[in-house]
Amino acid sequence: MSDEIIVELNNVFLKSDRGAPVFQDLNFKLVAGRSAIITGAAGSGKSMLAELLVGRRFAYQGSVELFGQVVRRSKKRTIRKVRRKIGGIGGIFDLVPSFTVAENIMFPMVLVGERKKVRKERLLNMLTEFSLLKQATERPDRLTRVERTLVQFARASVANQPLIIVDEPLAGLDQKTYERIFEYMIKISCSGRSAIFLSAETLPREIPNSDSYQLINGALV
Amino acid sequence: MIRINHILKELFRNIFRNPGTAFGALLSLTLLFLLFDIFWVAAGTSEQFYDDLLYDLQMEVFIAEDAEEISLSQTKEVLLRIEGIRSVTYVSKDVARQQLIDLVGVDLLVGYDSLNPLPRSWQLTFASEYQTRERLDAIEREINTFDDVSHVQYSRNWLEKAERTKSMILDIGMVLGLLILLTALFNSANNIRLMARARAVGFYQMRLIGAGKLFLALPFMLEGFLMSGISAAAGWGLLYYWKGKIEFTWLEIIFPAVDDIILFCLATAVLGVISGYFGIRRLLKV
Repeated sequence: MSDEIIVELNNVFLKSDRGAPVFQDLNFKLVAGRSAIITGAAGSGKSMLAELLVGRRFAYQGSVELFGQVVRRSKKRTIRKVRRKIGGIGGIFDLVPSFTVAENIMFPMVLVGERKKVRKERLLNMLTEFSLLKQATERPDRLTRVERTLVQFARASVANQPLIIVDEPLAGLDQKTYERIFEYMIKISCSGRSAIFLSAETLPREIPNSDSYQLINGALV
Repeated sequence: MIRINHILKELFRNIFRNPGTAFGALLSLTLLFLLFDIFWVAAGTSEQFYDDLLYDLQMEVFIAEDAEEISLSQTKEVLLRIEGIRSVTYVSKDVARQQLIDLVGVDLLVGYDSLNPLPRSWQLTFASEYQTRERLDAIEREINTFDDVSHVQYSRNWLEKAERTKSMILDIGMVLGLLILLTALFNSANNIRLMARARAVGFYQMRLIGAGKLFLALPFMLEGFLMSGISAAAGWGLLYYWKGKIEFTWLEIIFPAVDDIILFCLATAVLGVISGYFGIRRLLKV
């Protein structure tokens, strides 16, 4: 495991669309292979943090660096490259409604031009791992909420994306599904990849290789 | 390769998921291009009609009464050397009398056999590029300076009206053509925008995963290419079909050259690519 910093936010200031301050002097670092659990009340800016990381929003002050590259509004190409290294689950991330489950899972591999043989192999692995074989040809509107979340987990893992952002993965789930999703979160954290878990509630158990933060008054503590 | 497959798959998915919209767009574009084609054919046909009329345009150079027959052949040589003159035909007094008989049906000069008052003349015809009022006026001025010439005459008023009408048809054609092409562009862009809007959520997600703008826009640009190209070709197909069915005995319908038609279809297809991009542009801003 290297000490390479894959996410670095320095003195970030961000305003909402209405001009209200969201982040004030936010600092955050994530080393490759480790995960971060960020908890915060509703409206504290967790989803905005996710948007900031994927280049959907931009800080008006401070710097955002992902995988060693500064993410700025003007750097469209960098943003596109960075996004391909991030797997997103929940929150702003959703499935493409016109694609089937299989197409949704394969899409990150299509973008990087992965070979057909590799694509098929990985798709089969993902469908098997997340128990989605029967749903492979279904469209998202015919899936249950849990199935949709599982497809997102599969999509976020299929191209070995080095960073996974999981936004409110456990909210409103029944106990059985809660446990199942939580197991996948632990699995991601132990896989050698990095993850940022954004949650309104404190997680029930510890996640290995992770550091916990709280988002309070626009800063991480 | 995989990306090309994906783009083609998306292209056909767009069309076959919304067959009604696609067919409606195809029909309305075909109708627009058909209008444009009809105007193009009408312009070509009227241009040919105008050229045919002008082909017979003559200038009459009347010879002075006291001009000697000997010097006339020299003057004729000079006339033939003037740039733009295609032919010079000498009309003697007798021929002029015969022309008058042909014109009015009776010989008005019975009894004046020895004293024919009709002047001798030359009838000039011109190369097509010289059949304009400006150039004919210049030739007229030059000929008027000759000693053997009493005066020169040609249908200046008729030519002026004909030129004005031709210019008007061209101006209207340009404006109408431009309007039709713009309408086609907006029509195509709007159809694609409507189809794309239904998939806005999908675009947003694909952009978040890292899809490039061009990657997402290409299926729609290709759709614009196909729609416009096929509509333009269908418009010409319909016109050729009708050409085979309808026949004018008094007017020859002039179609543009096949090369020009192919170029036009390609140009409209390119226009379709542009409209495809404009149709989806706003949805890609993520």
